[in-house]
Amino acid sequence: MLEIDSLTVNFGKFTALEKVTLDVKPGEVLAIIGPNGAGKSTLIRAASGVIPSTSGSICIGGQDLKGLSISERARCLAVVPQARSLPPAFTVYQTILLGRTPYLGWLGQTKAQDHFLAQQSLEKVELGKLSERRVSELSGGEQQRVLLARALAQGAAVLLLDEPTTHLDLHYQALLLNLIRRLVSENNLSVMMALHDLNLAGLYADRVALLVGGKIWASGSAKEVLTEENLAEVYAMPVHVIPHPDYGTPLILPDGRGMTVSH
Amino acid sequence: MYNKSQYLLPKIIRLAAILLSSLLLTSCNSISPTQIETMVPTSTITPTFAPIAIVDGLGHEIKLEKTAQRILSLAPSNTEILFAIGAGEQVVGRDSFSDYPLEALALSDVGGGFGELNTEAIVALQPDLVLAAEITPPEQILALENLGMTVFALKNPVEFEELFNNLKTVGVLSGRESEAQILSDALMSRLQAIESVISGVGDRPLVFYELDITDPNAPWTSGPGTFIDRMIRTAGGENLGAGLKGSWIQISLEELIRLDPAVIILGDYTLGGVKPEMVAQRAGWEGLKAVKERRVYIFDDNLVSRPGPRLLDGLEALARLLHPELFK
Amino acid sequence: MVFKNHPYLVNLSLLVTALLLSAAAGPVFIPPGTVSRILADKLPGIALQSDWPQAFETILFRIRLPHTALMALAGAALASSGAAYQGVFRNPLADPYLIGVASGAGLGAVIAMSIHWPAEWRGLYPIPLAAFAGAVLTIALVYSIAKVGKSLPTTTLILAGVAVSSFATSLTSFLMFRSTSELRRAIGWMLGSSVLTGWAPILASLPYAVIGMGALVISGHALNVLQYGEEQAQQLGLSAEKSKALILVAASLTTATAVAFTGIIGFVGLIVPHLVRILWGGDYRRLLPLSILGGAWFLLLSDLLARTLLAPQVLPVGIVTALAGAPFFLWILRSAKGQVFW
Repeated sequence: MLEIDSLTVNFGKFTALEKVTLDVKPGEVLAIIGPNGAGKSTLIRAASGVIPSTSGSICIGGQDLKGLSISERARCLAVVPQARSLPPAFTVYQTILLGRTPYLGWLGQTKAQDHFLAQQSLEKVELGKLSERRVSELSGGEQQRVLLARALAQGAAVLLLDEPTTHLDLHYQALLLNLIRRLVSENNLSVMMALHDLNLAGLYADRVALLVGGKIWASGSAKEVLTEENLAEVYAMPVHVIPHPDYGTPLILPDGRGMTVSH
Repeated sequence: MYNKSQYLLPKIIRLAAILLSSLLLTSCNSISPTQIETMVPTSTITPTFAPIAIVDGLGHEIKLEKTAQRILSLAPSNTEILFAIGAGEQVVGRDSFSDYPLEALALSDVGGGFGELNTEAIVALQPDLVLAAEITPPEQILALENLGMTVFALKNPVEFEELFNNLKTVGVLSGRESEAQILSDALMSRLQAIESVISGVGDRPLVFYELDITDPNAPWTSGPGTFIDRMIRTAGGENLGAGLKGSWIQISLEELIRLDPAVIILGDYTLGGVKPEMVAQRAGWEGLKAVKERRVYIFDDNLVSRPGPRLLDGLEALARLLHPELFK
Repeated sequence: MVFKNHPYLVNLSLLVTALLLSAAAGPVFIPPGTVSRILADKLPGIALQSDWPQAFETILFRIRLPHTALMALAGAALASSGAAYQGVFRNPLADPYLIGVASGAGLGAVIAMSIHWPAEWRGLYPIPLAAFAGAVLTIALVYSIAKVGKSLPTTTLILAGVAVSSFATSLTSFLMFRSTSELRRAIGWMLGSSVLTGWAPILASLPYAVIGMGALVISGHALNVLQYGEEQAQQLGLSAEKSKALILVAASLTTATAVAFTGIIGFVGLIVPHLVRILWGGDYRRLLPLSILGGAWFLLLSDLLARTLLAPQVLPVGIVTALAGAPFFLWILRSAKGQVFW
């Protein structure tokens, strides 16, 4: 569903992304991992069309993003940003309803259909009881779920998530990612998410792409990408990789004790 | 989304309405309807029904069917002129700054203290002539004309001759031509008297006329071409400000020290209460010749800044200060 | 609280009350009964015995009613554009003068005041025209400086606005110092004043103000979406840059229109939107129309105080808006303690 071909993004002289080629099929979750500054967020932003790309193409279901208007784009691709300084004036329901914007006119006139879908998204993320609460009164995990519901209300086939588990504790990390997996299989979505927790990537993603310095270092299944050689080189420190006792997915154990500053 | 309740007026609106209507009641102070009717002037002069047409200071031709009986003065100088030519009883209102003569204070005040005149109060007075001055903003004049009023703007005199003409013009407008002529002649002879006394003088002291001292390092004074400049020269002095550019300008303290005036006249005594003792205490001023020789004088600025008959009082006062030896 | 559930009703009632009070009050007392008879007499088909002085009619129709209409319009314009600016810049301190309308208008007005126009030109209102032109030119300048390709980054816009404003303001101060004879007139204008009588000023402002405010009122949804930032707004399907530009142009035009005839009245544009937010929430679809109503009655009441407090003196209305408005706002703020409204 989502095909990124040879995407290059330059900010002046600095090359943030270089010839990135990825694809995500329907019903699939692709995790983008990599060190800080690798360009994960840039990739999400470029893929959604909010920053211009120097070369390369982004296609959704065969349609090039460049040929679509802004609202057409928003109907096929939704982004779940990090839950940071959300406008506190709106309620949970109002926030989710804004996800219907690509289908509303300038005046924002909503129809019964829009309310139905917003309500549906609200229930999918299990926030029904908090519908009339102000967003500022929610916890980080709940706010993240609100944004997820908003993206779902967009009715897009492709979902991009930018580090959705940052600031969430173990419980909410698992809750959110399980929810995403469920939604992916129920609605046949294509999901690309940037993660910096390698273990979560191993547990929840079908495929993993390792992004370093704006380039794809490795991509494939979790087992193929999350190897001791790859990770030791990319993160410049020794790691152990062992299989998860229950699921067999790669578990990364960093071995950084005694590490000094490298040049 | 909200139900339209039958119980309409919220408490706060009622409260607000009560508060505001009490404000309304307290606001009806100035003029009541009955007062408008009884404001018929009790002047001893009957209006002359001869049509008047004069071009005013803004170049407008102003026409009156008869001499003005209900005059509104928008400047202190105009008020002084009107009373001086005996037209005081024909004046129905004044601006806030008109304070001379004392009888003027009893007239209805039409505002202007904060810049804007109170148009309603003006309309309520039903003047048949509004006497404006150069300080009246053109928009204000236009606003009054749009309401059907006759507005005559007097231009500030640059020479004494123009002052006398203004007096005579107001005389024609108010039907006090003979009084205006008498006043004008009297002022003219006082002017000539001063001029003849001063003509023989050899030494013309350098005079610094202080208008404002908010910044002690850059006091304000009057420049060349102002009436004050004119008066200082006629009174036998040399205006220090004449060498500067502009009408109301600042001069740096350093420049002032360099020029070292012989006399300092404190025009800011009137509004600012500045006195000679204070001048001696200003840093850097103590070395000035005027301060050392104690030739720092307070002065009523109104006598030189209001373009009216008291300009002659001002001139005489200036001459006495500059050349006391000629006026024993 | 009934108050909270009927925002339109409350604001409309306040507006009607303010309009009536403004028309009824002034230094010349006209009994309310007479006011209604004078108004009724003007209606087609009704002719009453005029037992009132002609002066009353002049005062009512040539001074008070046009002035009331102008103040209501100006208040509505300032408050709605203040709300729009706060929305576009996502900054609670934004007011309609943020990117230079006030300083541009002030410069235009003071330049016009320093020129001695031929007396016949007075009727063409050189000062309001110059103020309007100054405002528009300043905004255009700030806009072209801040533009980067197709986008208008908000931080750059604010900085460019502040820089150009400061420049215009110092130029204005310089001119004011140079022609000190016009100093009081200029200062009076800067603080908000409306000397002109008759219906011409309001008729001249009406088309621009209505178009501007109309554009703002329908932009409520777009402003809601913009609260999430330009990137998220675009990801949600809104053309963020185009929307921002449209809203800013509408708001600036509206402000310029208000300022041209009433001078620079402060506080209304900043505070009324916050007042509405505290009481009725920050949804821009409601905030904008409620600000229009709120700004109108707020300025009308301030103007009423300015005209009557020290009668016959007329205080510049810009002084009263803050003097009376600030304590009122602080009272509202205290009662809403703890509530999140931004």
